[in-house]
Amino acid sequence: MSRLKNKLLAKIFTRFPFLAELWVKKIAPWKVEGTPWSPFNKDLKDCKIALVTTAGVHLKTQKPFDMKDPDGDPSFREIPLDTPKEDLMITHDYYDHRDADKDMNVVFPIDRLKEMRDGGEIAEISEINFGLMGHISGRHIYTLINETSQCIAKSLKDAKVDAVLLTPG
Amino acid sequence: MRKFTEEVKPSRAVFVKWPLGHPFGEPFKVRQHNAVIRKAFEALKTIKKPGTIIDLPFRWRRDEDWEDKN
Repeated sequence: MSRLKNKLLAKIFTRFPFLAELWVKKIAPWKVEGTPWSPFNKDLKDCKIALVTTAGVHLKTQKPFDMKDPDGDPSFREIPLDTPKEDLMITHDYYDHRDADKDMNVVFPIDRLKEMRDGGEIAEISEINFGLMGHISGRHIYTLINETSQCIAKSLKDAKVDAVLLTPG
Repeated sequence: MRKFTEEVKPSRAVFVKWPLGHPFGEPFKVRQHNAVIRKAFEALKTIKKPGTIIDLPFRWRRDEDWEDKN
């Protein structure tokens, strides 16, 4: 019943964005201190780019994100670059992803990046990209900040990624 | 939602006032997707102040807003 309610709310928020804004104002925000910063001086055509999405994208063979926990699921899924698009799916009850189900590029534009790579606009795409689900609250925020994001950042650094395109749902 | 972006404080961000679940637009609209991605990549260099959010002037289902950005 709870999942049905969440899906219904997601459709209402998609149709009436001002209601979503009101909802966001009501919930207590997590106070983020400071903004991380790295200067960027490289030419894009020489860059290796990675995609990290909070839209709930994962492989069909991977464990879906937990939709029963009201605080969300702070874990992540690795999405290899060579994954056929028919092997991808979305598990996320908190936004209406019917359009993204038709074309994953709406939230996870991996085909567009491949076209840019093939056209020479960027040099490379990370061999591993990442999927998370972006409805994290309560105790899971700590895990997201101190474990999940650190683990993803290390992987991206080890892969010598120059820039990351972060995409929401 | 812009409010979320403001609270998370990413280094650089571009924002589109489009329905939830459509950060790159509509299904199969390649040129629309590319317009947003290219603006995001441009922001890598144009944003000099940490935490800046650029509001993209693309209206929902108004193709003329992004057709010339490819």
